[in-house]
Amino acid sequence: MTAVIEARNLSRWYGNVLGISEITLNLEPGITALLGPNGAGKSTFMKIITGQLKPNIGQVAIFGQPVWNNRHIFRRLGFCPESDAFYEELTGLEFLTGLLSLYGFDRKECLDRADRALELVELQDVSRRPIRSYSRGMRQRIKIAQTIAHDPEVLILDEPLSGLDPLGKRRIIRLIKEFRDAGKTVVVSSHVLPEVEALTSEIVLIHNGKILARGDIHFIRELLDSHPHMIRIKSPQYRDLARLLSSQDYVLHISFEPEASAVVFETHHRDRFFDRLNELVLDPGLDLEEITSPDDNLQAVFDYLVER
Amino acid sequence: MREEIVRVFSLYFFLGKKSGRARTFFLLSSAAVLMALIIRTYRLAGHLTEDGQVIFQNFLMVFFLQFLIVLLGLFYGSSIVAEELDSRTLPYLTSRPVRRTAIIIGKYLAYLSLTSIMLVLAVLLSYLILNLDPDFRLKDLMTVLRYSAILWLGLAAYLAFFSFLGTWLKKPILVGLAFGFGWESVIQYFPGTTQKLSVAHFLKSLLPQYASSSGKLGFLFIRLEPTRPLVAVLILAGIVAVFLSLACLIFTYKEYLFED
Repeated sequence: MTAVIEARNLSRWYGNVLGISEITLNLEPGITALLGPNGAGKSTFMKIITGQLKPNIGQVAIFGQPVWNNRHIFRRLGFCPESDAFYEELTGLEFLTGLLSLYGFDRKECLDRADRALELVELQDVSRRPIRSYSRGMRQRIKIAQTIAHDPEVLILDEPLSGLDPLGKRRIIRLIKEFRDAGKTVVVSSHVLPEVEALTSEIVLIHNGKILARGDIHFIRELLDSHPHMIRIKSPQYRDLARLLSSQDYVLHISFEPEASAVVFETHHRDRFFDRLNELVLDPGLDLEEITSPDDNLQAVFDYLVER
Repeated sequence: MREEIVRVFSLYFFLGKKSGRARTFFLLSSAAVLMALIIRTYRLAGHLTEDGQVIFQNFLMVFFLQFLIVLLGLFYGSSIVAEELDSRTLPYLTSRPVRRTAIIIGKYLAYLSLTSIMLVLAVLLSYLILNLDPDFRLKDLMTVLRYSAILWLGLAAYLAFFSFLGTWLKKPILVGLAFGFGWESVIQYFPGTTQKLSVAHFLKSLLPQYASSSGKLGFLFIRLEPTRPLVAVLILAGIVAVFLSLACLIFTYKEYLFED
C-alpha cells in the first residue's frame, strides 16, 4: 500500500531540548496510534506533519508533497491540536462556519457542513451557545468537529480523547473508526494504552523523541508484558497472601510494608498473577482492602524498554 | 489570493466585532465625543469664547493624532500574531488552505476597517458637536472629511508598522509603546530632517493651515518643517506598503512556538 504520510529522518530541537530525533515513518490509510508518555515527542511530530513546525533535519511529505506552507495539502488535512484553545466569544456554529469559510465554501455550504459535523459529535443542541460556556468534553468535541467538517482525507488528532467522559470517548472512537472504514488516513496520539487499544491495532511507540517500536497491538503487548509489574496489596493477612503466592514461578520478588499492612509483588506475568489472586480472593479467610500498581504507567514501561 | 484575503477579512471582521477589545476601544474613542459635548455646553453657557474650529484643531492634534490613532494601531497591529499565540488558536489558521500572506493582509484589513469606523465616527461627531450652528457650510463638511482622511492614513501607517512588529517580535507591545509614545512624541520636534523619521511628521505636514496655529496647543507645530503634501501622502502610503510586506514575509517564513 502507498504511504500517505512519509517522514524521513525528522529531527527537531527546541534550543538545547530535543523534541524528536531521526524519526522515519511511513503512514498508510487506516488508523495509526502514536503511543508514548507525556513529553515523548508525539505532539512535535504531529506539528511537523501538519506544517505547524519545520524540522531541523529531515523531510515530511503528504501525498508526495511537502507540507510547510502548502495550502493544497491543508485542504485535504484535518488537524485537531492538543491545546484547549478557541475563539471563546464565538458560538460553536460560528466557530465551525468561520473556519469552513476559509476553504472558500459559500454560506449555505458552510452551514450544511457545520450542521453535519455538529451532528456527528452530538453538539447540535448547544451549537448556538458561546464556546466559553462549554464543558471540557463539549470543547473537545467541537475541536474534533472543526477537524472533520471539511471532510479531509487525512486526520491528525492530538490526544482526541482527553477530557471526554466514557460515553463521549466511545462516540469519538466509533467516529474515528468510521473514518478508517471510509479509507481515510488517521493518526492519533495518546499516552493511555487502553484508549489506543480500543482504536487500532497499529501502534508506534515513541519515547524521548525516538521511535521505540512499531507493530500491531499483539507485538506491543508482548513487549509490555515482558516488563515486570509491581502490584501492591493491602490486607490484614498480607503475610499469608505472600506465602500463598511466593511459590508461583511468575512472582519475581516480594517485599513487605508492615506499617501499612501491605505486600508488594513483582511479576512478569500480570494476567496469570491476577488469575491466581482471583482464586485466592474466593477463599473466605482472605480479606483484601486495596490493590494498586505503583508503576502502572507508560513512563515506567517505556523506561524499562529503553534499558533493555 | 484576493479571494483568500476576503475570506480571512470576513472571519476577522466578524471576530473583531464580537470581541471585548472592540467595545473597549469604541468607548475610548467616544471619549472625544463626550469631551466635545462638555465643551459645547460650556460655550453655550458663555464661559468659552474660542472658535469651534480652533478647539477642534486641538482635539485633532492632542487626542486623535498623537493618542488615538497610535493606540489603535498599536493594540490591533501588535496583536496580529500575538493574540493567536496567547490564545493558542494559531493552528486553526495555519492549517487552512490560505496563504500566510493572505492571513496577514486579511487580518490587517479587518482591523483597519474596525478601527476606521471607531475613528471616523468619533472625528465626525466631535467636529459636528463643536461646529454645527446656523453658519455651518458644506465647506466645513469637506474640512472634516479631509481631517478624517488624514487621520485614516495615519492609522493605516501605524497599523502596518505595528503589524510588522507583531509578526517579528515575541512581545511587541513594549517596543510598540516605546515607539508610539516615546520616539514619535519626541523626534517630531527635532529640527531638520530628523523629524522626518516619525509618522506624525508627515501627518502634520498634511495640515498646512495649522503650521502657525494660534490655538493654545499651537506650540506643538512650532518646529514643524513640513514636507510637501503629495510627498507626505506618498511616504505614508510607502510606510504601509513596506511594513505590511515585511510582516507578510516574516509570517510566511517564521515558525511560531507557544510559550511551553
